[in-house]
Amino acid sequence: MGTRQRTVILGVAHSDAHAVANHLIAMQLREHGFDVVNLGVCTPLTDFADALDAHPDAEAVIVGSLNGHAYADLADLPRLRDAGRLARPLILGGNLTVGSHKTDEGYRRLRALGVDHLLDDPHELPLLLDLIHAAGTRGRTREAVSAHV
Amino acid sequence: MSEVEWAGMRVDAATAETLPSWADTVAYLRSGRAPSAVAALRAARDTGRPIVQPRCGVGDHGDMLRLLHRLREAGPGMLTVTIDSYTRLRQFDRAARALREAPADLNGYPLVAHGWRRGRELIEAVDVPVEIRHGSPDPRELFAVSLAAGAGSFEGGGIGYNLPYCKDVPLRTSMECWREVDALCGRLAAAGVTVDRELFGTLTAVLMPPSISLAVTLLEARAAAAEGVRCLSIAYPQGGEIHQDVAALRCIRLLAGRYLPAGVEVHPVLHEFMGVFPRRRDTADALILYGGVTALLGGASKVINKTRQEGYGIPDADANADGIRTALLGTSDLLDVVRIDEDRVGEETHWLLREVTELVEPVLAEPDLPAAVAGAFAGGRLDVPFSASVHARSWVVPARDARGAIRYRRTGRLPFSTGTLHRNATELGPERPTADLVESVTADINYFLRRDHAPA
Repeated sequence: MGTRQRTVILGVAHSDAHAVANHLIAMQLREHGFDVVNLGVCTPLTDFADALDAHPDAEAVIVGSLNGHAYADLADLPRLRDAGRLARPLILGGNLTVGSHKTDEGYRRLRALGVDHLLDDPHELPLLLDLIHAAGTRGRTREAVSAHV
Repeated sequence: MSEVEWAGMRVDAATAETLPSWADTVAYLRSGRAPSAVAALRAARDTGRPIVQPRCGVGDHGDMLRLLHRLREAGPGMLTVTIDSYTRLRQFDRAARALREAPADLNGYPLVAHGWRRGRELIEAVDVPVEIRHGSPDPRELFAVSLAAGAGSFEGGGIGYNLPYCKDVPLRTSMECWREVDALCGRLAAAGVTVDRELFGTLTAVLMPPSISLAVTLLEARAAAAEGVRCLSIAYPQGGEIHQDVAALRCIRLLAGRYLPAGVEVHPVLHEFMGVFPRRRDTADALILYGGVTALLGGASKVINKTRQEGYGIPDADANADGIRTALLGTSDLLDVVRIDEDRVGEETHWLLREVTELVEPVLAEPDLPAAVAGAFAGGRLDVPFSASVHARSWVVPARDARGAIRYRRTGRLPFSTGTLHRNATELGPERPTADLVESVTADINYFLRRDHAPA
């Protein structure tokens, strides 16, 4: 085919040590043919930025958060983006807020930080990545690819 | 932190200042004021009935004392002080601050912050031995305080307390820390005090292939024995298929006979199912009972019980006490009528021994064990699924076969022979060509959770 392998950067948010889901998602994306740069558990946002600098061909940054601390763990996103870093679609998935009642407000706050896509179901990742890819943006996209909120 | 030596072990100076002298520590350990863990394990071995031990740890000292008294009523043969996360990671100041400001928020007992005198109070409070359980890649300060407190049983090892518990501690670093702990146990053995050192074969706790668990604890056991450790409890996590689990428990003594020096006493331990636990009370209770039976048939000296609240978080005292009783019921003569297919156990035993041999022999052939272990994990020749640490590859992918036994869906770079690979593939049977890998693995992980919805 001669097509270059598509690369994504994957990791778990800084305060979160959930390894199993992270390994399963990496496995799933590799099954779909992606080259996955997996940064693993407890990854500070700056490490995601460093990984993107090292892999500038990566088409998205995927952050998992299962412990409800996503907002605090992503608090530095606006500052990094202002400095020109993490200039790719950022997908956040998992249990994104504490408690069993998910509110639009919690999601709105995450989007205000600059999160581009919110996902509850990791199975939708390959589809979402394909849609982002098809949109052909190398930078960030705010296209309403999917309304999972 | 500046380091000083305490009985040949390097510990941070601030902790060392709080410790009694080595002579006082040895005298206290010899005094018999704390019940002996080794004696309890030997009695279990000699009677053929495993003792039951809960996990338990809370932040506040008074609450911890009350919890030990409360759980003692349920009939455990050993009790636990489970240590909080801050202390595990040597964040002693954070642990102390949490203890002052919000002890209820701690997920365990901060022993270093409380100090050895309070430790002695806990250990003398009950008439069964108390073990320190934690998850520290570098446990040296905690071990010093534990010894000063009179604890005769201490869990952990340089591999099992690294890969599941931290992201980026090199294996050579954690193995060196644990070498110092083991060397101190050797020094105590020479002084007539036998400390029980328990190895955490559960590792990352999800779908652990038995040969990986047995290989890792065997390598840790070799390292410990080389430093003079005389009593080892070697723990294995219940996978849920009883023939495989019984075979694995029986393999622990067989492997010890092959690979450990004579004079090292070995006690098999079963961790009741550590994976995703059923949430319905009746299903959870059945699984807890099943663990007790598995420990009994496998010849374990000890079983670590689970509780009906496992699927929800840290259990309260009532649930934990009930868990002890339910596991005890499984180990009781009431269940002596249970028989399993010994031919199948024999077959599993044969292949497990072969797999473990193929995993450990190349590592043991090298002169420097910690370097060999680190190198093997770096190259995927030793591996664990779902590692939290970047120092294991997690190229292995486990799978349950049709009967529920844990096999290898992918062996990564494990140095298995053609015969071993063939047998594994045969047991596993063909994968449905349409099967989604992640869905299959997830279904295997949720194997017992699904029983919550089993048809009546």
